[in-house]
Parts: sequence; C-alpha cells; structure tokens
Amino acid sequence: MEVQNRTAKLSEMATELNCSVGELTRALEFAIDEGLVERSDGTLTLTDKGRMQLQEHRERYIHDRHGHGLGFTGRLTKILEGTVRDWRTHWRAKHGFDDSSVDDFYRGIRNLEGHVEDTQNLTSLQQGEKGVVVFAFGGRGLVRRLAEMGLTPGTEVTVVRSAPLRGPIEVSVRGVFLALGYGVASKVFVTRVGRGG
Amino acid sequence: MALAGNANVGKSALFNQLTGLNQIIGNWPGKTVERAEGTLHFAGYRINILDLPGIYSLSTFSMEEIVARDYIAIERPDVIVNVVDASALERNLYFTLQLLELEAPIVMALNQVDYAARKGVKIQTEELSRSLGIPIVETVAISGTGVNELLSTVVEVAEGKIPLNPLKVRYGREVEENIERLERTVKEMLPGICQQYPARWIAIKLLERDDNIAEKVRAEENGATLLALADVIIEQIEQLHGEPSPVVMASERYAIASSIARNVTNVVTPPQVTLADKLSSVTTHKIVGYPILVGVVALMFTVVFVAGDFLIGLLESLFEETLIPAITGILAQALSETAVELINKGLLSGVVAGVTVALPYIVPFYIVLALLEDSGYLPRAAFLMDHFLHKIGLHGKAFIPLLLGYGCSVPACVGCRVMETDRERFLAGFVLVLIPCAARTVVILGLVGRYVGIHAALALYLFDLVLVFVLGRLAFKVFPGEPVGLIMEMPPYRMPSSKNVLKKSWGRTKEFIYVAFPIIIVGSLTLEFLRLSGLIWPIVNSMAPLLTGWLGLPLLTGVPIIFGILRKELTLILLTELAGTVELSRVLSPIQMIVFALVAMIYVPCVATIGALAREFGWKRAVAVSILDVLLALFLGGVAYRFLLLLA
Repeated sequence: MEVQNRTAKLSEMATELNCSVGELTRALEFAIDEGLVERSDGTLTLTDKGRMQLQEHRERYIHDRHGHGLGFTGRLTKILEGTVRDWRTHWRAKHGFDDSSVDDFYRGIRNLEGHVEDTQNLTSLQQGEKGVVVFAFGGRGLVRRLAEMGLTPGTEVTVVRSAPLRGPIEVSVRGVFLALGYGVASKVFVTRVGRGG
Repeated sequence: MALAGNANVGKSALFNQLTGLNQIIGNWPGKTVERAEGTLHFAGYRINILDLPGIYSLSTFSMEEIVARDYIAIERPDVIVNVVDASALERNLYFTLQLLELEAPIVMALNQVDYAARKGVKIQTEELSRSLGIPIVETVAISGTGVNELLSTVVEVAEGKIPLNPLKVRYGREVEENIERLERTVKEMLPGICQQYPARWIAIKLLERDDNIAEKVRAEENGATLLALADVIIEQIEQLHGEPSPVVMASERYAIASSIARNVTNVVTPPQVTLADKLSSVTTHKIVGYPILVGVVALMFTVVFVAGDFLIGLLESLFEETLIPAITGILAQALSETAVELINKGLLSGVVAGVTVALPYIVPFYIVLALLEDSGYLPRAAFLMDHFLHKIGLHGKAFIPLLLGYGCSVPACVGCRVMETDRERFLAGFVLVLIPCAARTVVILGLVGRYVGIHAALALYLFDLVLVFVLGRLAFKVFPGEPVGLIMEMPPYRMPSSKNVLKKSWGRTKEFIYVAFPIIIVGSLTLEFLRLSGLIWPIVNSMAPLLTGWLGLPLLTGVPIIFGILRKELTLILLTELAGTVELSRVLSPIQMIVFALVAMIYVPCVATIGALAREFGWKRAVAVSILDVLLALFLGGVAYRFLLLLA
C-alpha cells in the first residue's frame, strides 16, 4: 500500500501499482473487509488500523534491511532473533537505540511519502549513484550532526567512492565532499535517483 | 576582531597574513581548545585579532563550538570577520546565517576566489552583500590579496562609518511563528539572560534542543516554565514535520543558505576534473591508496629521523664544547663545587636533554605534519584507516595522534584534540602512550637491535602493536559511552604555503617547550639531587626484589630505569655509563636485554608526557594511566622473562 498526501483516482493508482483496475478493486474490497480501509462519500481512506499496519510494515522493513542486512549473517541473526513482539524493547535491547531515537524513527516513517521499499541505506549505493536523503535513524546526536553537515531530508547526495571492507564512503553533498564512516552511512536512508552524470 | 568560519577555508592563512610573527598560541582558560591571538597596527589603531576554532555550526557538539559562541555572544568583539570559502558557498553560508542570528557585527571575507575561479565559479559579491546586509571583501589569503581592503572595511565598521543592515533570518511560516512566540516569552520571563544572548537566538536554540542553553535557562527564575513551553512547541513542530526539531531547523536554515547561494553563483565553465581530483582518487583508492599511505609515512619518518640526527649532532657539539663549559666556568667563580655540579647535571643536562634529544625530532615532525595538513592529505589517510581504528573504538581521525606518537607522545597527546568527544580523546591518549616514541625506539634499536639481533627488535615492535590493539579494545569496553562515527570533510588538495607551514610549526614548537621543559627541568633537578645526596641507593635497593627476583635484571639497571622517567633515552645512556663499558653484552644477557627494553617501552610515560596527559585530561587520569603502565610493564616483563627462559 502507498500513502501519498493527495486523493487519486483508481485508474491512477492502478497504473502506479502496475496492476489492472479490477485487481486493484478486489484488493481494496479485501482491505475494507479487514478494516484497513474505509469508504465514505465515494472516497476510500486508510483507517487507524490501516495506518498502524502500514507503520508496522515500514518498521519491519527497515529493521530487516538496516538492523540485519541482507547477507548470510544478516539472515542468520534475524532467524535467531525470532519474532519480535515488543518492538520498542527490541530496538533498545538488541540494537541500542534509546527511546527518543525510536520516537524520532516512528515519526519519520509515519510521515514518509512513497514506498518504504524505495528507501535504501546510503551504503548500498554504488560509486557515482545519487540519492535523496529520506531520514537518518540513529542516536539523536548523530542525526543532528548529519543535519548540520548538510545531510537533511530532501538533500541530494552523490556517492564519490566507497572504501573496501565496510570502510568509509565519500559523498558529495551541497558542493562539499564528506567522508562518512560505514556505521554512520548505514544509518542514512535515501531513495535512489538514477545513475549519476 | 575575531575570525570565524568553517575549517579548511583559509582562516589560519588569513590570520597569519594579519598577525605575522606577533602571534601567541595558547589555550582557552580551563579548556583544551587552542586559542590563537595576535596584534596588528593599522590606520592608527591597535587591533587585537583572535582566531576562533574552525567550526561548522554553533551547536554544542564540541567544546570548540561552545567556546566560539560564548566568546561572540558574551565578550562581544568589535567586529567578526566571517571567512567563507567561495567554492563551497552554500555550506559556508549555513554558518554565516548562524552568526547573523547571534546578532554580531560581521564583515565577510570571501576567500579563495582564485580557486573558485579556476573551478569556473564566479560569485556576484555585490548581490550577496545586499542579500545578507553585510559588507563583503574578496580575498585570497595565501597571497595576501584583499587583506588591506578587508582591514579598512573592518575599521570602518568598527568606527560606525558603514551601517550594518544584517539580514533577519526568517524561517518557514509556522516555524517562524513558533520562534516569535517563544522569543516574546523569553523577553518577558527571562530579561536577565537577554543581556547575554539575543532573545530570538535563545528561542531558536531552545527549539533546537540545545543542552547548553537549556541549562542556562533552567538556572534562571521562570526558567522551568519557559522550558516547558519550549517542549510543547518542539512537540508540535516534530509532529508536523515528521523530523526531530533540530533537523527541521537545520533543514530550513540550509534552504535559506541554498537559495541565497544559488542566486549569486554563476557557473562560468562547467566543473572539470582537476589534477587535485585525480590525486584524491588515487590516494583513497582501495588498492593503491594503502601502499601510498605506507610510503608517505615511511618518507615522513625518514625525513624526521635524518633531519633529527643531523640536528642532534649540531646541537650536542654546540652544547658540550661551547655553551656548557662557558656556563659552568662562570658559575664556578661564584658557587661551591657541589652547587655547580647540581646545576650542571641537574638543570643544564635537563635543558640539554630537552634541546638535543626532543627538539631535533619534534621540529621536523611538526614541519612535516603541517605540510601534510595543509596539502590535504591527512583526511585521506584517516579515510583509509577508519575501518581498522574502529576495532579499538576510535575512528579515522585518530590516525593522526597515533602516528604522532611514533615521534613523541607530547605533541601526540595534544593531537588527540582532533577527536570530537572527551571519551574519544582520552581513549586515543591512553593508547598512544604505549606506542614507542623516538626515545623508546632508540632504546629498542640501540640495545636489542644491536646486541640481540634485528629480528628481536622487530618482534618487540610487533608485540607493542598487538598490545596497543588489545588494550585499546579493553579500554573501549571499559569506558562507558557511545563510540562516535566518522563524519569528516575531505578538502581538495592544495599546495601548502611555506609561510603557513613554518608559522604553524613554530607556534606548536613553542607550546611544546612551555609544556615539556619546566617538567623536564624539575625532574632533572630532583634526580640529580637524589644522586648527589646518595638517596638514590636506598631507593634502588628497595627495588631489588622486583628487579632481580621478578624481572631477572641486574641491580645496576635500577638507576637507569628510575632516570628513564625523566627521559626514556636515559635508560640506555645511563646503562652504558654505569656498566662502564660500551660492550653491554658483557653486562646483560640477551634475555635480560629484551626484558629491559620491554619494560622501558611500556612503563610509565616520560615526565613530559605525563605533563601533557595532565594538561589534556587532568591529573587524576594522567596518574592513573602512569600507574597502570608501570604495573603492566612489571607484569609483562616478568612473564616475558620466564617465557624466554623456557624458550632458551
């Protein structure tokens, strides 16, 4: 599901989701039955339950990509973690994020525009690729420092080079070159813009 | 007049242009932040110039930022010169806007216009001046262009001849409404604090969750109420924007900086890949970069040691053949023989040791370091080393103080200031005192290398690296706190200016002398007194069980080890003297030599280093580190002794 702060026609949505209007209608009927979407005055909007589901989906997605990575060890640690029931405690205990950072994170993904699947770690961008900063998930001090150095939401970032073996990456942002440690860069989430040039 | 601006914009080049040799480099009182001051006479005025640390923001992340903003707000210099890099206008303007928010009288020095021109960027200075409401002077600090004009403008501003009409930085609508609301409340409730800082600035800082200002507000009457209101507003802002409040403020400020910058920047020619860019690629390359780094470091050490040895030769003959006999001759006419000997061996030899042993290595080291700094290579080295340094809880920038440690621990301790937080700095300091400095290298090579073999010497070096790594990791676990990741600017490569390099090196050498010499002299006098009065022998005898029993060393090593606290080379020098022979293999067995060198390498840092540690981190920590190192050295020495016996 996607959330954009505007109303759209069914046909528009169908094109964007790359399915037929028929499939879309069936999915929406299902969503209404599940209580995720409600119909009023001919328009469909997300219910609170729907919003919560979206939130959880986004949280889970970021957790799986950021907290554990996609490699073998990532998958292994995730399996060992099992199902997470209490997310807040989980973030604090297993990933070291204090409550205020988690608050900031929740707020960030609540207001996220577009698909969470479009976001990726800065570290996953290749040399020469550009991205637009969506948010940074980390301790408050770090997020703030990144913002002060120019990495604010909506800023375009170009990857100049990455060092081997989880070394730092060099990026160009606002006309200046910055070196970011791997740990720092992996906390910055961007949407890819397309090959640089 | 104060110079304020980002790092790497040419601020110190400008400072050097203005102050020439009339510079005093010290510290801000009670803080480990460098303070550079100078004076200049111009147009009948005597201008005191203060070079504030290069910072990116006026928040509270580092001591440098707090020192700078308190100076600007509370001590109110007559004029602030905001040094701005013309080739990175947007990012620099972010800082300018913050200065404007502090409502300080500003003149901008738009520096490095030559470099910007080479990159095909032309700034419409008139338009920028109008947008910001402050006078702007184009400068090329390295060559001195525009400096006179800058000074006349500064004087005219100070005289009131140029009216300042600084831009009132206005944020997006509802953030702006909130700021104004909070500002009004600040003025009403806390008139006292408005004497120090502008009310609007306080409001903005509170909304940015600035801890330093929050503390100051809390201490005032009505402070708690104000903070509560600020919290409510912060909550509103965060709900609306979906980002933490400080990020919202930073974003909006950058938006303003961005639009101003875009308005006045003309890209005359499209940016081309310059030689500097290519050099940057090569030196940070994942494969080629590392050999280059090793090469640069090797070259650095070669230069330092060759220059150092040459200087030592010069100075030693100067002292021994000319100065000392002359001085003792003069003194002998006035004082008793013992007094002369005390002064000779105590005071003079301390001075001689400092001058002939420390300085010959330190001065070339500083010069090479300044060259590397000004050329822009150091961030590349930090980039390559970041990952490895993470293993001991530090990040790339720590490479610099650790590297310095191979020369001398004293400047290395000061070099720890490149790290941003207290915890990082102390961790780096703790680790680097274990690194064998030039003095310890002399002992290792001169004793083990010469008599046992080069392999044993190399093994000791390797062992030391392992030790540094292991202890670094342990310390990392022990010290509470979050490790800080690397966020570092990569400035473009530039030709270093020899004037700048020499000035910087001279300033740092002076500082080293002020720190190290008094301690060396005091230590030297004390030891000489102990020797002359005969008190040294009871002390050595009390060490006997440890020395011979645990470490397996002959008793005569006691004196060199004690004197080694003063200067590590003395361990070898005195050993030779006491043994009465240069053929040390007659006095010590190979195993004993290795144990001796090991202990000398690790046990207490020399007094100058303890002094530097105390200055940077406080006496408690300095003493703690010293005691720990002694215990570590004793422990490892004993273990090594038994281990080597088993091997033999």
